[in-house]
Amino acid sequence: MGETATILTEVFFETIAYWWVIVPTIFLGLIVGGIPGFSAANTIIILMPLTLAMDLETGIVFMVSLYCAARMGAGIPAILVNIPGTAGAAATPLDGYPMAKAGKGQQALSISFVASCIGGLLTTIIALATMPILARVGFYMHSVEMIVVMLFGISLIASIAAQDLLKGLIAGFFGLMIGSIGTDVVYATPRGTMGFLELYDGVPLIPALVGLFAVSEAFIIIEKRVIISEDAEPKHPNWHDTIEGVGIALKRWWHIVWTSVIGLAIGVVPGAGASIASFVAYQQSRTYSKTPEKYGTGHPEGLIAPESANNGVTSGTLVPLLVLGIPGGATAAIMLVVMQFHGVSFGPALFENQPKVGYGMFMAMAVSYLIMFLTILPLSRYMSHVTTIPTIYLAPLIISFTLVGGFVPREYMFDMYLALCFGVLGYIARRTGYHVAAILIGVILGPLLERYFLLALKKSDGDVFVLFSSTLGNILWVSLFLSLMLPIILKWRRARRNEEVPAE
Amino acid sequence: MKPQKVEKSRQLGAELVIPVMAIAFTLYYFSTIWNSPWTAQVSAFLVGGILLLVCGIFILNCVRMLANREGSLGFSTLVNRDDIRTGRIGFLGATLGFCVLIDHLGFTLTTFLFLLVSMAILGKGRRLAMITGLAAVISVAGWALFIWAFDTRFPRGWFEITMEALLSNG
Repeated sequence: MGETATILTEVFFETIAYWWVIVPTIFLGLIVGGIPGFSAANTIIILMPLTLAMDLETGIVFMVSLYCAARMGAGIPAILVNIPGTAGAAATPLDGYPMAKAGKGQQALSISFVASCIGGLLTTIIALATMPILARVGFYMHSVEMIVVMLFGISLIASIAAQDLLKGLIAGFFGLMIGSIGTDVVYATPRGTMGFLELYDGVPLIPALVGLFAVSEAFIIIEKRVIISEDAEPKHPNWHDTIEGVGIALKRWWHIVWTSVIGLAIGVVPGAGASIASFVAYQQSRTYSKTPEKYGTGHPEGLIAPESANNGVTSGTLVPLLVLGIPGGATAAIMLVVMQFHGVSFGPALFENQPKVGYGMFMAMAVSYLIMFLTILPLSRYMSHVTTIPTIYLAPLIISFTLVGGFVPREYMFDMYLALCFGVLGYIARRTGYHVAAILIGVILGPLLERYFLLALKKSDGDVFVLFSSTLGNILWVSLFLSLMLPIILKWRRARRNEEVPAE
Repeated sequence: MKPQKVEKSRQLGAELVIPVMAIAFTLYYFSTIWNSPWTAQVSAFLVGGILLLVCGIFILNCVRMLANREGSLGFSTLVNRDDIRTGRIGFLGATLGFCVLIDHLGFTLTTFLFLLVSMAILGKGRRLAMITGLAAVISVAGWALFIWAFDTRFPRGWFEITMEALLSNG
């Protein structure tokens, strides 16, 4: 124990000494995270020659800082212009954007930064302390358990549908149907591809995200002179709003803690990602809230939940990578390649043979979050001014940089046209009262749900009762049932209490 | 007594666009898996079946509202004269042009042209000199950051190839 503490202290000070790498990387991460199509994974690949040329410690600090900053950066355009930089931030605009439109962009950004930094920092410490236990979570999460986790995320559609049940369900199930495009996972039979070979691998996520959010938003915002509501008070950059946002977030510290732990738990499962974590966290946050009716209108808790959860995922993905050598996501897979190039062998022996590497990754993450908090928070004052840029300049900028972002991951011109088609769909949906987030949830989670569903059925020779065959799965089923029923029971109790009050 | 605000009737024609698209797509999807193995069908029939059911309920609801004169089959929430006034139609044309031209002209030139044209349309032809300068600065900055500095896989054309040749020759 004493020896570990000494190593951790040493690694902490060594990592701090790399501030000159961390600070510029944070700004790079914020840029690449903020533009759809540019993820931390893509950037590390693009900068691979540079990363491989660095020594191991510098490379680790660079990759980890970029990963954390990109995750946080994805939330900035989600809040300011209703365009999530990555699918992991798809739940952020639900409450972040209404805050920005109401002239509370600074507060929303501060809340997001505090939730992200504390969530990320806290889960890094938890992951470090409970690594042997967390590493086993992946072993217990089979297809049956994953189906229930997906359903936790998909149940967010029901929350969105709460405003207009039929339209919410149509949007969600239409999204699930679009998500089913592509070949089936067992016999590779093409389904609903309209003859396009580019759709055989399924609907690519970035063009869907770009179209549904960015393109449709650009066509909507041109109706107004600026994004911010005309009746919102015009403000100059000020510290007061930033500090107010920090205060709002810190007052809800417990909310940050438990939603970031959801992110950590989902992050340690290989294959599960930030998008699932943020949807599940948002849904759970709404379920157990005393004011669920405020969600979707610019409620701070609706912003805290997805942001702390998706940053909780970052530390979670490192656990299976370091302990088992199984990358939890695309960025972790690229980190694995780079570190193997430097001769690092993963597994439990890593912490005995090269403890500074193992602990160093977590420490780099913790230090990155600390430095990010200090460097980014003051900038929220200026970032929030995006909402006051005239839309005649902003809308074309959004279109040009996000559409080309849709092209980057696969380099198919087809993906740009696909983004445009999703843009038209998103525009129609917005103008006629359907929620684009519900469509996107379906597109993201639909194929994953189908994959795990088919795997479970294949294992059981088509017996659907396999879904209730594991203890952990059954516990999750009960939790899912309770989380769906609880809001209804609470609503009913509140209505009864309100009826009783005038009678007294 | 204050006059009561007359509520605008719902434009059900526009609201039916998404359900009609959903039904059409689901039926097409079913046609592609009709003779496929069960693994390709099971989840699609389940999800598609629910979608058809929900759309059916929504359409019946619309029919009821139309019968009660609570809505009309109009499309004005989706398409109206404002789309021309705000420059939305022109902006859509410019966006289509952007997608078509970027493969031939490359990122920088197409971005410059797109920003220039769309900002001019949305700005109703005012401040053209400023818009030209802004479009040039943004597109060159985009090239410098994404293509020159980070070698990102953006579509390349005449400008990018020329700049690459110029820079590699010192």
